[in-house]
Amino acid sequence: MTSRRPALALLTLALIPGLAACGSSGDKKASSSDSAHGASNRAAITITADKGCSIDNSTLAAGGIDFTVKNVDATAVSEVEVLSGDRIVGEKENLPPGFNGTFSITANAGDYTLYCPGASTEKSPLKVTGKSAAADGSSAALASQASKGYANYVNTQVGYLLANAKALNTALQGTDLTAAQAAYAKARPFYEKIEPVAESFPGLDGAIDARADGVPATSLTGFHRIEYGLFKVKSLKGLAAYGAGLVKNVQKLQTRTDALAKQDLPYQLTELANGAQGLLDEVASSKITGEEERYSHIDMLDFANNDEGAEQAFAQLTPILEKSDPALTKQIQDQFDALNTLVEKYRDAAEPSGYVLYTKLTKADKRKLAAAVKAVQEPLSKVASKVAG
Amino acid sequence: MTQQKDPGQQPSRRLLLGGALGAAGALAVGGAGFATGRATASEPGDPIASQVPFYGKHQAGISTAAQDRLAFAAFDVTATDRVALMHMLGMWAAAASRMTQGLEIGPVETHPQAPPADTGEAMGLHAANLTITVGFGPSLFDNRFGLAGKRPAALEPLPALPGGVLRRELSNGDIGVQACSDDPQVAFHAIRNFARLARGTAVMRWSQLGFGKTASTSQAQATPRNLMGFKDGTRNIKNDDTADLDEYVWVGNETDQPWMRDGSYLVTRRIRMLIENWDTDYLADQENVFGRFKDSGAPLTGKHEFDTPDFAAKDKDGKPVIDTRAHIRLAAHENNNGIRILRRGYSYTDGIDPVTGYLDAGLFFIAFQKNAHEQFAVLQRRLGKHDNLNEYIQHTSSALFACPPGLSAPGDWWGKELFGA
Repeated sequence: MTSRRPALALLTLALIPGLAACGSSGDKKASSSDSAHGASNRAAITITADKGCSIDNSTLAAGGIDFTVKNVDATAVSEVEVLSGDRIVGEKENLPPGFNGTFSITANAGDYTLYCPGASTEKSPLKVTGKSAAADGSSAALASQASKGYANYVNTQVGYLLANAKALNTALQGTDLTAAQAAYAKARPFYEKIEPVAESFPGLDGAIDARADGVPATSLTGFHRIEYGLFKVKSLKGLAAYGAGLVKNVQKLQTRTDALAKQDLPYQLTELANGAQGLLDEVASSKITGEEERYSHIDMLDFANNDEGAEQAFAQLTPILEKSDPALTKQIQDQFDALNTLVEKYRDAAEPSGYVLYTKLTKADKRKLAAAVKAVQEPLSKVASKVAG
Repeated sequence: MTQQKDPGQQPSRRLLLGGALGAAGALAVGGAGFATGRATASEPGDPIASQVPFYGKHQAGISTAAQDRLAFAAFDVTATDRVALMHMLGMWAAAASRMTQGLEIGPVETHPQAPPADTGEAMGLHAANLTITVGFGPSLFDNRFGLAGKRPAALEPLPALPGGVLRRELSNGDIGVQACSDDPQVAFHAIRNFARLARGTAVMRWSQLGFGKTASTSQAQATPRNLMGFKDGTRNIKNDDTADLDEYVWVGNETDQPWMRDGSYLVTRRIRMLIENWDTDYLADQENVFGRFKDSGAPLTGKHEFDTPDFAAKDKDGKPVIDTRAHIRLAAHENNNGIRILRRGYSYTDGIDPVTGYLDAGLFFIAFQKNAHEQFAVLQRRLGKHDNLNEYIQHTSSALFACPPGLSAPGDWWGKELFGA
């Protein structure tokens, strides 16, 4: 390897596949003896700038297959995938030049594709032959299970939301301001957990949860109109009608989610992944900034519940994702754990919301929380493409 | 070059500068679009000529010709996993090797359901001489990653120095990244994609944009002016002074940590200028502060910019022509036991001071050297106490980073030797 290759040569390499400027020995020892006998259960993948992604054995035996991957010098490549059609059945990510790694798949006989996005040769065929001893759980069954599991979660939360909206409404018809404030904080979590679902019904999210961004608070109808009365005006006067309206709108939401749950695939798997991402976007854009609960300052309660809703949606996907990318699955779970641990630190039993008020957070607190959210979001952003199709 | 495209126009000063560089285009620096700034950087030109080689003995962005724009960021590592940090540095190296060729860091059109590998804002722009220089801060060498025994003696944190009212949140950091380019969007793109690749492993601690270079590191470049309107850095170390670079900039065999050999120590100081005060100072005093004429840049004892200052010269009243507290006198190597540093700073503005409404602008000072404790710190101790300039400036941030040597080829990454990988 030359220590300093001219920029021109590198550029040409990227454009013209197969034009060699420097050789690479690769790592051939992993399975040469197996491949001599035909189908093997292991293969070594070597990624180079000039040859792209090469595999020492392109005919593999059905069942568990182990891959070793080595990125020698391909700067544009950092992952390897095994595809069945467009579906990812296994992959290794985070593999810059100079590093190596391993991954495994369980595959039935058939035609597969080795895919190295960004390589000079991106795709090459893989053949899996013979019969697998272990029956692979069908991906359609797993998808349905995940989708129904999430629908069940949504419906449970909507049920709690309705019960708590009714309790809030009752309090708003009464005369006890403190009790009504507490009832408000009790109802909020259930909406924050499933907000992306409500958002998918045009008009409902606005009626239930619109904020006074650019419009006067008095023009609102939902939660934040009630929040304005309870925490800014500090009076129950005129709020009874909004309480009744909130109950009516939540009932509408329940009708819709109940109907969805009866379908075979109530939510697309990409919707689960993107919904989880959407909830964390909400956290980053309006909770860390204190915009969501600008009168009551119970943003940390919303934060915790957005987080929980995102994690629940992701959890439904893990049986699917684990098959193709256990490393990514673990990375996301670890980052969720770190985020949860951080959020737990802000619990405060003395507050009706159970969390410290937004006004008590320091700049350093907000920055730490923001970084922890982004640490989940970056790996989570890869999930939709892996569970699609 | 630029003039040929537009023959009817009288060449301006900026264009003449571009022409001068064109003549020097055979240098490794490359010429197209250089110093003519944004106007030509995004026009179709020779994409190869506007590239600075990424791989080499030393990191680019130190002795290579100073570009027009800066994006700098300091990161703190949040991961506790040593391997995660190594991966991040590996991903950075691969991304940098691509971006410095004007390429995206990875494919954009892959899965419709996945975010693209590259954020895309530099697509269609050339590298515009992008260089990316990485250094490790003293705080990285604690117990988190098993590096405690690898900290060079020269990476002892800088002591408190006169002239500083340092803001902690704008100072220090585990890792520093300097991205310089002739196109601000290209420089920003580099930092943004580094931050993205870091997510979950490291977070940005502070960042600084610089809009105009204040130092030239090449004989082919004219000395730029700082926001006080002065040429400061006329006597900087230039990239063809190989002997000076070896003596003052590159770490040699004297280091106690072999992984730093051929590297350099980077000091950054955000130096806010009290611009409104400066603007009301009378010309003779401004020139007295620097020891140079404002227009020509010549020392007060000379006629031309590059005339050597005569620090012994007296006026008819027997007073030194160059004031005893003038900036060039105190900073001159003749008066500092020969100490020199390579300066590579940029003018910055961060809007206005929210309290006073005064401009928050000045110099983001960058210097490279063999040992900051024996070079920058010695100079600053003197300048911070005595410099006439102190009346008009305030150091608001400080950082020290150990920049390892250059990367050899794809597969090498920043810190590979440090981590023993």
